[in-house]
Parts: sequence; structure tokens; C-alpha cells
Amino acid sequence: MDPILLGGIVALATILVLFSGVSVALGLLIVSTGFLLIFDGLRSLELIPEILFGKLDNFALLAIPMFIIMGSSIASTRAGADLYEALERWLTRVPGGLVISNLGACALFSAMSGSSPATCAAIGKMGIPEMRKRGYPDGVAAGSIAAGGTLGILIPPSVTMIVYGIATETSIGRLFLAGVIPGLLLVGLFMAWSLYSTWKSGDQMLLASRVYSWKEKFEILPRVLPFLAIIVGVLYAMYGGIATPSETAAVGALLCLLIAIIIYKLWNPKDLWVVLRDSTKESVMIMFIIAAAGVFSYMLSSLFITQAIAEWIGTLDVNRWVLMGFVMLFLLVAGFFLPPVAVILMAAPILLPIITTAGFDPIWFAVVLTINMEIGLISPPVGLNLYVINGIAPDISLKTILKGSLPFVACMVIAIILLCFFPGIATWLPDVIMGEAV
Amino acid sequence: TELRLSHQWSNQDIRHQVAQMVADGVAEADVDLEIKIFPSRSLFKPREQYRPLTRGQLDMTVLPLSYAGGQQPAFNLTLMPGLVKNHDHAARLSASPYMAALEEKMAEDDVMVLVHGYLAGGFVGKDKCITSPADVDGLQTRAAGKAFEQMLAGANASITSMASSEIYNAMQTGILNAANTSSSSFVSYRIYEQVSCYTPATEDFALWFMYQPLLMNKSTFEGLSEEQQNALLAAAEKAEAFYLEEAKKQDAASVKVFEDAGVEIAAMTAEDFEEWRALAQETSYKAFVEDVPDGQALLDMALAVE
Amino acid sequence: MQRSPQCSETLTSKRKIDMAGQSSAVTARTGNNPFLRGVAVLSTLAGWCSAAMIVAAVAITCQMIFVRFVLNQSTVWQTEAVIYLAIGATLVGLPYVQQLRGHVNVDLIPLALSPGARYYMYILTMTLSIVMVAIVLFYGFEHWHLAYERNWKSDTIWAVRLWIPYLAIPVGFGLFLLQLIADLVAVLLKIDTPFGLEDE
Ligand code: NA
Ligand code: NA
Repeated sequence: MDPILLGGIVALATILVLFSGVSVALGLLIVSTGFLLIFDGLRSLELIPEILFGKLDNFALLAIPMFIIMGSSIASTRAGADLYEALERWLTRVPGGLVISNLGACALFSAMSGSSPATCAAIGKMGIPEMRKRGYPDGVAAGSIAAGGTLGILIPPSVTMIVYGIATETSIGRLFLAGVIPGLLLVGLFMAWSLYSTWKSGDQMLLASRVYSWKEKFEILPRVLPFLAIIVGVLYAMYGGIATPSETAAVGALLCLLIAIIIYKLWNPKDLWVVLRDSTKESVMIMFIIAAAGVFSYMLSSLFITQAIAEWIGTLDVNRWVLMGFVMLFLLVAGFFLPPVAVILMAAPILLPIITTAGFDPIWFAVVLTINMEIGLISPPVGLNLYVINGIAPDISLKTILKGSLPFVACMVIAIILLCFFPGIATWLPDVIMGEAV
Repeated sequence: TELRLSHQWSNQDIRHQVAQMVADGVAEADVDLEIKIFPSRSLFKPREQYRPLTRGQLDMTVLPLSYAGGQQPAFNLTLMPGLVKNHDHAARLSASPYMAALEEKMAEDDVMVLVHGYLAGGFVGKDKCITSPADVDGLQTRAAGKAFEQMLAGANASITSMASSEIYNAMQTGILNAANTSSSSFVSYRIYEQVSCYTPATEDFALWFMYQPLLMNKSTFEGLSEEQQNALLAAAEKAEAFYLEEAKKQDAASVKVFEDAGVEIAAMTAEDFEEWRALAQETSYKAFVEDVPDGQALLDMALAVE
Repeated sequence: MQRSPQCSETLTSKRKIDMAGQSSAVTARTGNNPFLRGVAVLSTLAGWCSAAMIVAAVAITCQMIFVRFVLNQSTVWQTEAVIYLAIGATLVGLPYVQQLRGHVNVDLIPLALSPGARYYMYILTMTLSIVMVAIVLFYGFEHWHLAYERNWKSDTIWAVRLWIPYLAIPVGFGLFLLQLIADLVAVLLKIDTPFGLEDE
């Protein structure tokens, strides 16, 4: 059979199976096994356990559970609230200070957490009720946190960047650095929009929030120190010659656990178990998808689908930006329905050769891809962050959350467009710190 | 008939070219035989290739044989320090009773060799040149291969294990002071940007030689028609000659790249080489002989090749 | 919709949401059924093992950095140990995460179905999942057995006997299979609802 046609059939089967309610990882295994059985015969099934094991046989993967532990241990303390409060006391004179504080807290928390929903929940628990109390519209309150939370996978560390790095064999240290400036750019855009919308609403109450004395401002600073200690410690370990990026994750996890236990007094074994249980749960889920996606890409390669698609795209005589447009559209649609890790693992092996042949930088592409995935996190029908917000503030309707998030989606689209015109936004920092790409 | 060949290298790599030559030669012979190449680990990860090969789920591969050393400990001899002196010596080893003994071991796994070939490598130092064992004392070192780790540990180096793709970053941040791998990896990972000195394989002395043959599943080969077998063997013979010539050029080419990058080039003297070899005898050779039942006999056969 | 550890919710169903790292998760219901309870105990034990392996991986990695950076000594076994621990944590953790409903899924089709059709859809997808896991278990056991019989080792100085890490495949998938069967049984016995969705 023509590999391209076969590819189409595989795609259809995959969509059908993945939407059937079966877990994503098992769904990928089922589709792969089915096609391997038909086209490669019964004996190819012998390989499945070896491929599953082999995909996990990678030191870099260790960083995934580690960065998840970092986020969830800090999220289970009042550190998020402290951070949020400190920012609020200092930004009180700024118009719309509260929403700005929220976004800033999300950005800072992202620098410690590898996942988006965790960031969203850590800041939202405190931020959303506070904003609503002060009269911010529900949509702005919920939307800003939903969007701010997505920064968790763009600002390093990032679980999805690790997955991308492994799937495409790009340097994880470089990928992390590439997310920094685009992350700040997004924060800036989010803040600009929030300011504009509060200003437009004309409610003077929002602009002038509570006034804090200098004493109150300085009082809270020590409570932000643990955050800075973690961020500085991790950065120093990673770029200061102590450890490789994957090893650094373990340092970060240990630091966060220690700070949670010592400073935030998280020493009740039950509470610690909750942190560990939730980290285990999320890590195992992600790692199983990685292993299963390995079998899926083996199937695609063995049936020559990957190669045929790459060849076919190569023969198409289209402008590289048209090609990129289609790739992004595809990613956006995939992101509407599937979790980021699954999209990256399924798409990267097929897309990356196409992208690099067309002359795009894989590091730059990782950033654009990540922002696409961020949009998926706050868009229907499946948006993890939306549900987290819904959990924090059940009385805000999903429609309101969605409406509040839409302008932030627009900010992300603007960021992607800016990145297309100025790829340096992503590539400059890694090039300066780590030298030109290999 | 369609055969599947998997390897871990890019389309520009010499080992891909060897595979491609065999594929082209067979295609030209027009004997209803097609070799489909899956390069750049697009089908199997490097170390996952040997087992499917032994069971015929994969037909052919270009593989550093020492990757399978955990299943056939005798294969560890194919990445042993100081056992191969230079490329011509490597070619004589490939045609010796020593190799015949190894091929017997492969036959136990239903595997046969189509194209023999060795590639050489050297050392890089971040701050200084590495020529004799005394030079690695106290350095954080990444070595390619178990036997090299044993030897370097014997020279009092601190061994750290990481993928060759991580060498660049580790050198840059200073986690690593020295590394040892193949000439082509040094170039493809642009290690020359991070080091001050390179000790390449030369025509006289090289410590690091790795046997990287093109292997085939034996039963699959025997299942082919005589015509097809002959076409394969003829193409393999041509490829082997090409492999040897190109392998020699790789070392010189890598020296050129390092020189152009302003890296100092150091050379091992005959004394240095003997020092390393004496050290290897006490460390890696000894460990090998203890580990493998007929290890001493195999080692003697290899050492007997002039 | 998607379910994840952070959040197990759909837009239309009225399931309890669990927020990141906080409230208790939606877990498999066991009723008073001894089989379901037994499986739940096994899966929980597996979860503890999995979490312990992750903690051990953190500790060993930190030890490795210390040995290399502070003591400037060789670190030959740590990388490999950590990799095998992470693999073990993943595979052995599978049944526990299934029990906690932590494996992300997209239930767009079940949501669109009537409760009756949804029931049969669940039986179909669960049967497929069970067959799939049984296939991996069968070949995984063979793979482990071969490594044990032939005494395969990793090709490093440490030379780990590979049957030890490979053991995670049959153990993890074996317990995973039990948990999946338990989940199917719970729905057949009406102890739990298909896909965890409540009828409207
Ligand atoms: Na982050
Ligand atoms: Na979405």
C-alpha cells in the first residue's frame, strides 16, 4: 500500500482510538500493535516490551519526575501565596496592580515548576479570590490565571521542553534558555492587555488598590527569599559547571523538598506523601506516554510512513512560511484535543526533519511549538488549565473563564507572529550563553 | 525480497555510505533484492539493534560490536585499548583466526559479518594535552567503552558516564576535563570548540579502535538464492575496501578540523603507547580474561596478529 | 475530555475536580468486593514502591553530583542505577496510576453517547486495553526470562545483570493487568460507572 495513504489510515485510526476514552498511552499502543500485526506480522509484537523499556532507558528522562516534584512540593506550601502577596504589596501603586501581581507570580512560579496546571493552581488559589474581592471582573480574574499558568511550560524548567529535547535530540539546556525571553515577552503582553482592559473598564477602584506602608513592604521580602534561593541554586548548578541539566533537576527537587519541609514546615508524613503521590502519578502518566509513543513512532517508521511523508513534503514546492503555517495549524488543532506531551511525541519525529529541511531552527521551533501547546491548555474542548480554574472557582462559569482567556490567546498568537519575524527572541539567549548551536 | 538495514548515523557518515554501497551494489546486480536503509536511529536505538538482528526481526545493521558485549562478553575485545595499532593492522586482524573465532561466537547468535571495518579515535583535553597515563591523573574523564574506562580508572582518572551528545555541554561548563571517543564523533559534536588539545589517532599509534562491521542475520542470508548471496558478497567486498580507505582519511580530516579551530595537536610517542598498553594489561585485559571463560585464548590470538 | 493528575474533570460531567497536588483524587471504587479490594491493596503497594524508587533516584543523583563535584571521584554506577530506578518507577507505578485514574484520556466519544451505548463502549475499550496489556506482559515475561537464562549484562563497568531491571516489565504490566480487570469488573458489577462519568 502507498505509505502516504497508509499514513492517512493510521491518523484516522489514532484519532478514533484516542477519542474513545481509552488512556492516551494505551491508545497509542493499541493502534501501533494493530498496524504492526497487520503489516509486519505477529513476530514484530515480540519487540514491544523492548521498545517500551528502551525508550525509557534515557538519563535525560529523569528530569521529568524531578521537575514535577519541584513544582508540587512548593505548590503544597503557602509559598505561592507569599510570592503573590509580596508582589501585590510592591505593585500596589501600579494601575491594575493586582492582576499584574498575579501574572508576575505566575511567571516566577513557572521558573520552579515544570508543568502548567500546577503553576495555575498554585497562584490561582490565592489570586482569583483576591481579585474578585477587589472587584475585578470574573473573566479577567480567571483568564489571567489560566493564561499565566501556561507559562509553566515555556519559562524553564519545562517538562514539555525535556520531552521535545529527547524526541528530537536537541540540547535541553539550550531549549530551556530559549524559553526565557519569549516567556518574558508573553508576560509583558499579558500585562499590557490586563492593564488596557482594566483601564477601559474605567473602574477607578481597580486602579487604586490598598496602600501598604514601607514597613509592610519590607516585612514580606524575607518570605520570597526561599524562591530566589531555589531559582538561583538551580541556575547555578545548571550553567555553573556543577551538573548537567538532567542532573540539576534532582538538585532542584531536593532543594524544593527541603525548603518545603524546613521553612514551610511540611513535615507531616501524610502531607509529604500527598506531594510524593501526586508527583509519582503525574510522572508515571507522562513517562508511560513517552514509552508508548516510542512504539507508535517505531510503527510509523517500520511501515515507512514517516519517511514517505517527509519525502512527499520535500517534493511539494511551497514557500517555507506556508509550510510553517500549515504545521502550526496542525499543532494548534492537535493541541485543542490532546495533552502537550502526546502532541510533541507524536508530531516531533515526523515534523522535525521537515522543519529543518525547510531551514527552520529546531530550538526556535520548540518555542513556537510550546506556545501553541499553551494555547491548547486554555482552549476548548480540552483545556487542562480551564478545569483547574473551574476547580478553584466553581461558581465562575466555564463560558466566562473561556471568554476571559480569549484575549490571552490573542497575546500568544501575537507572540508567535513576533517570533516568526524575530527568531532571535528565542535563539539569542542560548547562543550568547552556550555558543552558536551545534 | 526486501531487507531492512538499521543504523544510528546520519546520511553523510562513512558508515552510512558503506551501507549505501552495499544497497546500491545489490540493486545494480538486479537479483530481486532490495535493501531499505533506516539511518539516524529512525527504527531502533543504537544498543537495541543487536537483539532484533539475532532473531531476524532486523536483517542488517552497522553496529559497534562491543554494544553487544553484555550478551557475548567476548565482543568486548573489539574495543580494547592498544590491541589495534593502526588501520592496516586492523585490516589484518579482520582477516585473522582471531576474527574467525569471534565470527563463530556471532554465529551462535545467528549473526554473520558482511563488511569488516574499524574506526579510530583519540583523546581531547580541556586544559592540557593527554598523551601518557600520567596526564589523566585526577581529571574528570568520559571514555567510550568499558575497557577504556577500566584503563583510565587505572591511570587514576575520575570516570563519569554520559552520552557522547552531552560531551560538548559538559566540557563547556567544566564538568568534564577530558574525553575519549571516535574521530568522527569529535567532529560531528564540534568538540574542537571546547578543548585546548587533541591527541588524534596517527598512522603509527592509536589507542582507541572500535570494530564496527556491517552485520546480517545468518538465517536470512542463507534463505536467499545463490544469485542474491553472491550479489551481496560482491557488493560487501567492494564496500570493505572503501571502508578501510575512508577510515584512514577520517583521522586526518579530524586533525584538519581541530587545527583550523586553533586547537593544539599532540602526538603519542612509542613510549607513551607502551605505557598505556602496560596499564591496559593490568586493568582492562585482566578484567576481560577474568570475565570471559576462553578470554585468554582469544586475547592471545588477537595479540598474535602482526 | 482530558483527565490528569491535576484535574479530572470534563466540561459536561459533574465529577469532583481535584486541584493540583491538593484534594484527594478520584480513585477506583471497590465497594465491598474482596477481589476489587485485594487488587486495590496490590496497586497501592506498587505505588509506594514506585514513589520510593523516584526518591531513591533523586538521592542517588545528588550523591553523584557530590562525588564528582566535591570529591572529584569516579561516578561509574550512578547514571545507570538512576535510569533503571526511573524505568522501574514508571512500570511498577502503572497499576497505581490506573487506580488513581491518573492516565490521561480523552473521552469525547463516550460523552457524546447515551448511557447505554457508553456502557458498551467502555466494555469495548477496556477489553482492548486488557488484551494490549496482556500482550506486553506475555512478551515482556519472555524477554525477562531470556535475559535471566542467558545472564545478559549491561555493557558497562558496573555490568548489571539485566534481568533485574527487566523484571519491572512483567511485574508492572502484570499488576496493571489486574487493576484493569478490576476496573472492568467494578463496572460490570455496577460498583463504578463507565469512564467515571455520572449519568445525567
Ligand atoms: Na517552568
Ligand atoms: Na485545548
